[in-house]
Amino acid sequence: MSLDKRHSPFVYTDEQLIARFQAGDEQAYVELVNRYRDRLMNFVFQFLGDTEQSEDVVQDTMLKLYEKKHYYREIAKFSTWIYTIARNLANTELRKRKRRKVTVLSQMTRDEREYELPAVQPETGQEVESQYAAKRIQIAIHALPEHFKTVIILRDIQELSYEDISSIVGVPLGTVKSRINRARLQLQADLKDLR
Amino acid sequence: MNRYEFEDLISDYIENSLSLSKRKEFENYLTEDPEAQSLVDHVHSTMDQLRNIQQVKVSDRFNERLMSRIKNEKLPHRLKPVSGQKTFMGFTPVYASLMTGLTIALLFVSMQLFSPDMDTSTSQNQFYANDPVPTLSSPATPRVNPKPQDLAEAEEDSLDENSANLPKKDYTKRIHLVND
Repeated sequence: MSLDKRHSPFVYTDEQLIARFQAGDEQAYVELVNRYRDRLMNFVFQFLGDTEQSEDVVQDTMLKLYEKKHYYREIAKFSTWIYTIARNLANTELRKRKRRKVTVLSQMTRDEREYELPAVQPETGQEVESQYAAKRIQIAIHALPEHFKTVIILRDIQELSYEDISSIVGVPLGTVKSRINRARLQLQADLKDLR
Repeated sequence: MNRYEFEDLISDYIENSLSLSKRKEFENYLTEDPEAQSLVDHVHSTMDQLRNIQQVKVSDRFNERLMSRIKNEKLPHRLKPVSGQKTFMGFTPVYASLMTGLTIALLFVSMQLFSPDMDTSTSQNQFYANDPVPTLSSPATPRVNPKPQDLAEAEEDSLDENSANLPKKDYTKRIHLVND
């Protein structure tokens, strides 16, 4: 099995690829990894806020895909299945982190955050400004309640459909729509000063 | 439309998924309340910010690391016995002990069957139920089996006795030969 980064044209759907992998074609696995590694990295990073830990979680997700390939059934979309695995692993990592009582920015109180932020606030430069904005958005996302956080990341950052999000988080479509709307309202309130 | 209804429909309005009548109702609310229009603009802007957030990518060595982890971590699964139970020369502990017992039993039986000393070893020095109970003053003397020549003599004696006691019968009148 070679895990090169060739970008072959996507002739197979995800579901066809996983079926081929289940039949023993390891190249299909490599193709799935190449398709999803950055998407999942971006998804997990919004939860953990740490690049190395996020990459470890994505690695674990891909390893689970390899080991548990026969658990996938075609009744669900492959994307929702792999996102569910990544989300569960990210949540496990968050629980471990809470147990270790590691203080991260997202866990600080509002006062602590306001105290910390000026240190990274840029004086000049468009790039630094955008980095600052990204950091602020990340903090605002982290501050959201858990059930808002997942759906807003999946919808507005990962750009998944409402139906897929409903499958991933396992709640009805109407609830997903309502949660996303509420999360957007809360975020716009938190990020008012960025505009 | 009240404030709560309006807030509930902001995302649907931005994503253009409202019915025509609801959309009209929503837009009427916006014209009546300039603050409402500002809120819709802010939500829209936030959504754009989220979509344009800097994308994080995996490191260049991601696939290489994954490959080595697969090699290292899948091997123990292949070596694991299917049942997950310890075996002894291919047998489970229960079957191994059963097989050992059976082998020992077979060995013992075959030794008993083919041993040349079987008669002397088992027939000498035996006691019988009617023998007197041995005491200290008169130690028990085991009954010794008679020797083969003694048995032969005894049989002859008994035959002689029987033949002497039995009355001789005359079968001459009962025997008819072919030519008679």
